Amino acid sequence: MQDFGKLFRENNIIFVTLALCLVFFLISPRFLSVDNMSAISRQIVPIGLIALGQFFVVVSGNIDLSMGMGSVLFAIVLGVIFGVTGGVALGIVAVIVFSLAFGFVNGLLVAKLKLPSFIVTLAGLFIAQGLSGLIIPRGQQIFLMGGFFRFVGAEKYFGFYASFLFLVALFALAYVVYNHTRWGAYVIAIGNSEENAKLAGINVDRVKIGIFMFSALCSGFAGVILSSRMGFVQPGLDGNGLLLDGIAAIIIGGTLILGGRGTVTGAFWGLLFIGVTNNALNLLNVTDVWHQVFKGSIILAALGANYVLWQSRQAEAQ
Amino acid sequence: MADITAPQRRSFSLDGLTLRYAVLVGLIVIASIGFSMANENFYSMTNIGILLRSISVLFLVSMGMTFVMLTGGIDLSVGSNVAFSGGVGVVTLVSTGSPWLGFAAAILAGMAIGWINGFFIGKLQLSAFMVTLATFAAARGLALVIYDADSINVHDPVFLWLGGTSWGNLPVVIPFVALMFVALSILLYKTTFGRDVYATGSNFNTAFVLGRQPGRKLIWVYVLTGALAGLSAIITVGRVSSGQPWTGLYLEFDAITAVILGGTALAGGRGKLLGTILGVLLYGIIINGLVLTGTNPYLQSVIKGAILLGVVLLDTYTQRGKA
Repeated sequence: MQDFGKLFRENNIIFVTLALCLVFFLISPRFLSVDNMSAISRQIVPIGLIALGQFFVVVSGNIDLSMGMGSVLFAIVLGVIFGVTGGVALGIVAVIVFSLAFGFVNGLLVAKLKLPSFIVTLAGLFIAQGLSGLIIPRGQQIFLMGGFFRFVGAEKYFGFYASFLFLVALFALAYVVYNHTRWGAYVIAIGNSEENAKLAGINVDRVKIGIFMFSALCSGFAGVILSSRMGFVQPGLDGNGLLLDGIAAIIIGGTLILGGRGTVTGAFWGLLFIGVTNNALNLLNVTDVWHQVFKGSIILAALGANYVLWQSRQAEAQ
Repeated sequence: MADITAPQRRSFSLDGLTLRYAVLVGLIVIASIGFSMANENFYSMTNIGILLRSISVLFLVSMGMTFVMLTGGIDLSVGSNVAFSGGVGVVTLVSTGSPWLGFAAAILAGMAIGWINGFFIGKLQLSAFMVTLATFAAARGLALVIYDADSINVHDPVFLWLGGTSWGNLPVVIPFVALMFVALSILLYKTTFGRDVYATGSNFNTAFVLGRQPGRKLIWVYVLTGALAGLSAIITVGRVSSGQPWTGLYLEFDAITAVILGGTALAGGRGKLLGTILGVLLYGIIINGLVLTGTNPYLQSVIKGAILLGVVLLDTYTQRGKA
């Protein structure tokens, strides 16, 4: 019995997500149809990319509030380069370079100047939002036509969307990096105690800059995939909603907000949880206005639950 | 008690603060002159009245944010809270017909969100930006639910009085804000609660060991900020004669920038309400001026972000120079 308790505690998010799926299935059998599952897998890709970026940022004890609006901005960079030159590859390269540069500046300000990450990235949020509207005037769109965008937006392999497979591959890569490389250990060490990490000879600044660059790159991918699916780019998209979903996913997945604790698999299950709830809320015709109430409450509940679990672990350890 | 505040006062050199306030006043003058050259209407008495009234909410919210930031925290939920508590107030007013019940409901609703923030931050010791990011979403959502995503017109003269009435060119709300400034100054500088706010921000653990109950003080600080958000909601409704679900969007961002401009340290424990007043004035004049000169709203957004980043950078450099 005790074993089961432990199993549940360690994997609570898996049980909760599966239980949720069962409930939704009982309410609406359409929920478990192949079409719907496939739709969920596509919907979660941009959220998952944001979540993956935030995962490393949060484990290191920071936050990156700029990346929801960031992905809107990066999508617009893609649209403009594509619209002007007609070159897809050039557009993608531009997104990668631009997002890495954005993340580099965030990381530099946080690491070298020791500024709190939420202030730096809050300012970044506004700058990204403003730039996106300055590059393309509000109300204007740039259409993304061509094989590449169709491929990213709708191509399937063995019944899975290409973008979903890309997301899974990236999560697998992140799993390996986080659990089996020195860099992953450094991120955890910095999240536990920056002082100790420094004393242990870790180049803290470089790792932090890397974390923010990775977060921005993920957000760049999210922008590309989101806009390919829609077939156009325009300013004024709800970047903050995307960010909130991404952060909710990793907190629900058990990432400790104080830093230093979290698992990639947990983050993935948290992502599935968010994807399933988003989908079910739409399927059950819950009006949009309730979504935000629900998201905020879920984050608060998960924050509280993580804290209680963390305390009970501390107590067990003593 | 003295043990906590004494070193606090010493490290807080008065010259630095006076200098900062002088610079702020100078910048306020320069910004006013600049914008009045760009737009001749800037200096009319009517516009000054409009300006002060439009930033009255920012004054109140920023004073609350000053308390929060003095404890080393942050409150990202105030803007959403203004919309939520306004919604509760307006709906109570419409359904009961009593403006006084409406006032009470708005302030209590604001305090309720503040209490949730305070509980998670003070009691459970969770990070302030994360907790208030969650209530930022939840309170905005609740506001949308209450209003059913539409605005509600308000006609009750008592409910609209505070935000909507003027004595000649002087909006009623200006003396009210001044009154609140005095009241909050007494609370911050003349009571043990105020000293505990500084102590909590300077060193939470020391405050705890000395029995100042910093966790409980944190809860009250967020409740206070919530109450001020409720008051701001009443003023906002009075200004436009209707309650709107999207009101106060990004208000928290403006408040944080104004408080930092006013010299309150991000790390907590250092800062004054007077600085916040000057910070709000300068920031308000800049924002108002950008609107009056017809600046592209997206450019305004970039400028706002740049101001926040610039001030934080400047503070970091000057403080490091002293150390």
